[in-house]
Amino acid sequence: MSITKFSTKDTVPIPPSDADVLTTACDYCVVACGYKIYRWPVGKEGGTKAKQNALGVDYPVSPLSGKWIGPNQHNVALYNGKLHNVVVLPDGDAEAVNLSGDHSIRGGAISQRCYNPNSPTHDRLKSPLVRVNDTLMPVDWDTALDVCAELSNYTINKFGEQAWAQKTFSYEFYENTYALTKFARRYINTPAWAPHDQPGPGSATAGFRDTGFENFAPSYWDWGNSEVVFISGTDPYETKTVLFTEWFLPAVRNRGQKLIFVLPRKTTGAAFAEKNGGLFLQITPGTDTVLQLAISRYIIEKGWQDKEWINKWVANKWETDSGFGQGTRNTPWQWRTTWGKFQTKGFDDYKKWLFSQKEAEMATASKITGIPASKIKAAATMMAKPKADGSRVKTSIGIEKGNYWSNNYLNTTSVAAMAVILGAGGRPGQVVGRFGGHQRGGMSGGGYPRSKSPEKQEGRRKKPIDLDRWFVSGHVRFAHVVGTTWTSAMGGTQSIQSMFNKLTRKNPHQIKSRKKEEIIDSLKKRMDSGGTVVVNQDIYLRDPIGAKYADIVLPASGWGEDDFARNNGERRLRLYSKFMDAPGLAKPDWWIVGQWATKMGFKGFNWKNSNEVFEEAARFSRKGIRAYHNLVFMAKKNGIKGHEALRKFGTKGIQTPILMVPKEWKENRPGQQYVSAETGLTWNGYKLAGTVRAHDTERVMPETGPAVTTVWPKWLTHFNSQSGKLNMLKSPWNLFSDFYDEISPKGDELWITNGRINEVWQSGFDDMERRPMIMKRWPENWIEIHPDDAKSRGIESGDYVMAYSNRVPVQKDYNQASHPGDFQYSTLKKNGHIRFDSASITGVAIVTSVVKKGTSWTYFLHPEQSANSLVAMVPDPITNRYRFKLGVGKIKKLGESPYKNSFDSMSFARRDIV
Amino acid sequence: MSETEMGKGACANRREFLLSGGITAAMMMLGTKPMMAEAKVVGYPRKKIGKLSRLKSGRPIDFNYPDEDSENILIKLSKPAGGGVGKNANVVAFNKLCTHMGGTVTDGGYHHSDAVAGPCPFHLSTFDLSRHGMIVAGHATQSLPQIQLEVKGDDIYAVGVMGLIYGRNKNLG
Repeated sequence: MSITKFSTKDTVPIPPSDADVLTTACDYCVVACGYKIYRWPVGKEGGTKAKQNALGVDYPVSPLSGKWIGPNQHNVALYNGKLHNVVVLPDGDAEAVNLSGDHSIRGGAISQRCYNPNSPTHDRLKSPLVRVNDTLMPVDWDTALDVCAELSNYTINKFGEQAWAQKTFSYEFYENTYALTKFARRYINTPAWAPHDQPGPGSATAGFRDTGFENFAPSYWDWGNSEVVFISGTDPYETKTVLFTEWFLPAVRNRGQKLIFVLPRKTTGAAFAEKNGGLFLQITPGTDTVLQLAISRYIIEKGWQDKEWINKWVANKWETDSGFGQGTRNTPWQWRTTWGKFQTKGFDDYKKWLFSQKEAEMATASKITGIPASKIKAAATMMAKPKADGSRVKTSIGIEKGNYWSNNYLNTTSVAAMAVILGAGGRPGQVVGRFGGHQRGGMSGGGYPRSKSPEKQEGRRKKPIDLDRWFVSGHVRFAHVVGTTWTSAMGGTQSIQSMFNKLTRKNPHQIKSRKKEEIIDSLKKRMDSGGTVVVNQDIYLRDPIGAKYADIVLPASGWGEDDFARNNGERRLRLYSKFMDAPGLAKPDWWIVGQWATKMGFKGFNWKNSNEVFEEAARFSRKGIRAYHNLVFMAKKNGIKGHEALRKFGTKGIQTPILMVPKEWKENRPGQQYVSAETGLTWNGYKLAGTVRAHDTERVMPETGPAVTTVWPKWLTHFNSQSGKLNMLKSPWNLFSDFYDEISPKGDELWITNGRINEVWQSGFDDMERRPMIMKRWPENWIEIHPDDAKSRGIESGDYVMAYSNRVPVQKDYNQASHPGDFQYSTLKKNGHIRFDSASITGVAIVTSVVKKGTSWTYFLHPEQSANSLVAMVPDPITNRYRFKLGVGKIKKLGESPYKNSFDSMSFARRDIV
Repeated sequence: MSETEMGKGACANRREFLLSGGITAAMMMLGTKPMMAEAKVVGYPRKKIGKLSRLKSGRPIDFNYPDEDSENILIKLSKPAGGGVGKNANVVAFNKLCTHMGGTVTDGGYHHSDAVAGPCPFHLSTFDLSRHGMIVAGHATQSLPQIQLEVKGDDIYAVGVMGLIYGRNKNLG
């Protein structure tokens, strides 16, 4: 890869006092800081006195003002066809999330994402493309969508809807996800559907769900007002930056909050926690279940469990069984729990099981996790030991992908049980949740047709599809891939890519002409011969899914190019304003699938604007944690559009679910000041109210009951189970240990785990490929190696290294279990359903003691070097979720990289200096 | 694309700085991704800020540049650096203000073995002084502004600033 050189700008224009000001939120991580857009025609500039500029500040701007414009916060973009200056600045007046106008390195530079033909964004997709004679050529929308519609109908009629697959982002705004799922799941009604980060639909953290915890129940106030926080499998400093810098950091510094980090790698946040009275538990990848069981056991041995809480909130045998009250339907709860391996009769039964588990014993746990017993005990003590006056420590539990993407079900059931023991989950500052990855922009436009899924556990229990296995087994004739790379984002990357190559490029039936009829004809022949047609919809041409495999590429517009709505990681709903034109013919995803569906003959897709989709989707949000239907109801009663009502809430927005309450009702829950902006919207004696946290067990609802269109789900003040109580679930290690033993490093192999990094988290296509400052910081993939592991392999920082394996387990075509345990790894292997593939990636070595001996670490999704290549393509059989963090391989030196002796690109300095 | 090191070597002078900046800009214009940035290194005053012989390794000296309102450090690093002057190309100078939210980075310390400044007392950003002030970890949307140096005999001169100083819309005037 070439090195992009640049020098920094030393001037930036000031918005004049009459510049347009619009609100939005950052498009990147789940925190979604509030931003303002200042837009004014090119050729004008404001002055350095407060009255001369739109920010109302005198220059030089003072520290922490949140009003300084850096060079990367300005851009030039087209608006109504005319050139405009745009400054996209964190909202220095923000009343929630990024309180002082704080921002991350990613969001702080988000103005650089605006389409500007004179910038690195010049290669945005601008027209539909068709691959003719292996070259992607522009065509008009009608031609492209006529082909898509005709081939979709052909697929459904000839091969069945399960041969029509959609792999799509699940987060890029309600309007788009609603339209996409309405199309694929409700109308085409295909079971061959998966979101970007999982091989099939369903909860990412099934153990939380089955215990009764909503993933995003807490508010940021709760995290900042906990006394101890157990943070597992993530460093919010790296990936939820402003949650850390605005909510954790002040709590640690000013209120003595203690953070316990569980990670295999000492990141900046973990180092900060350790230095400030917290703990860093450097865990061996994949062993969180054991750690969590050992902590739980130690707490109970000491009698430190929250007895009062447990008595009140843990479900007993009958209440647990009432889970089956969810019916005889095929619910995830049922097919997981009827195995009889997980459910308990309550706390005493859980305790009995826990104390019978060897892995929960301190010495065994210390050996398996690689964490000294003293540290495990210290963590348990910090979280659970009552204070001198007998009161309890307010402890919260937050997890993310390192936890639930290494051992999905068992890690989440065991951490949930630990939370119950601690009394966490239902009170202010004592919460349980995910910190989150992408923003919460999924809105289902149709249920998943589980009964059509080809996958089944023993008995008659259907489970959602593993779309990767379904595809690799050759069952997909038509693939609609939206805003995701699919191949590199999933486990066993090279196996999936090889199949894509075979079913598309290697198929003899290729498009030779731009005539619509001939395109359709050749692609029908492709499908008839067992090949696959791929349609890729994205904002850039992605390699390989668009650049190599797609027959048709559809150009999407995105953030800032239409009005959109979405929640952040504390359920905060805001409008993301349109402020510039989309490039060329690019269109929003809702429009693309709307036109496509209409051409297929489906009714109800002919939306005129994104507000119409937003309003239609509202009723589907009604019973969920993102409920905003009352906002749309209130808007209609006030004679305004739903989007315009939301715009009134500005960057503060409102935390969902949004309720309709009597106008005179006042609420003062802890954290209330951050819940909602004041808009003055009322109707017939009612106003809108937000929700500071779910499972708010001390919240008192209005005596008048749910008003007008409002629904009060049980989980508002109780938990998400049939009884409203918490189910304590077992986590038997032996359901996982055979797989774990298989993949654990052998001989001179190392764990090659992977993760995110502050500078490029969820912004890779912007930062890593189009933002010179970051391209200098991380010009190529990199692999962190412990000094001892590096020395024995002759590796120094700056060397090119290769990580490789010839034993990446891949589960072959097998989806129908007949007997208990058929999906257990050792049984799959014994019955010939596992094969071993080869894979390799390269990177620049960084020799550092922040990683553990025997555990290397690499960036998780480099466009050219997919770390998932080294990850088994064998999902957790209980939930069909990959163990993405458990990459394994050997590492060897290839030679020196250009960065070893360069001053210009890449820094090898330690990141744990705090 | 070959690399052009800014002011590498013991005897970099003002002309070479300008030249290297000019080459960088020209190469960008010819590249596949044109107009990424415009290098501007003209117009800055030339100011004597210290003597090589007085510098002690790892012991920063304060100075103001390009005007009296802007505080910087001059420092001899533990290793050669981009833009470094002196016999070992390890004498560099940087503005003190974090380009994230204006904290005084040097209040958070200087780590000699890594040539890292910070962490910024506000939000923990750190900067690699051997790599033109590149962010190591943290939130700043540009590198720490580097003060360009020249050496004449034993005297060290500040001759320019790379990057916008926090709080300003332009560095001069």
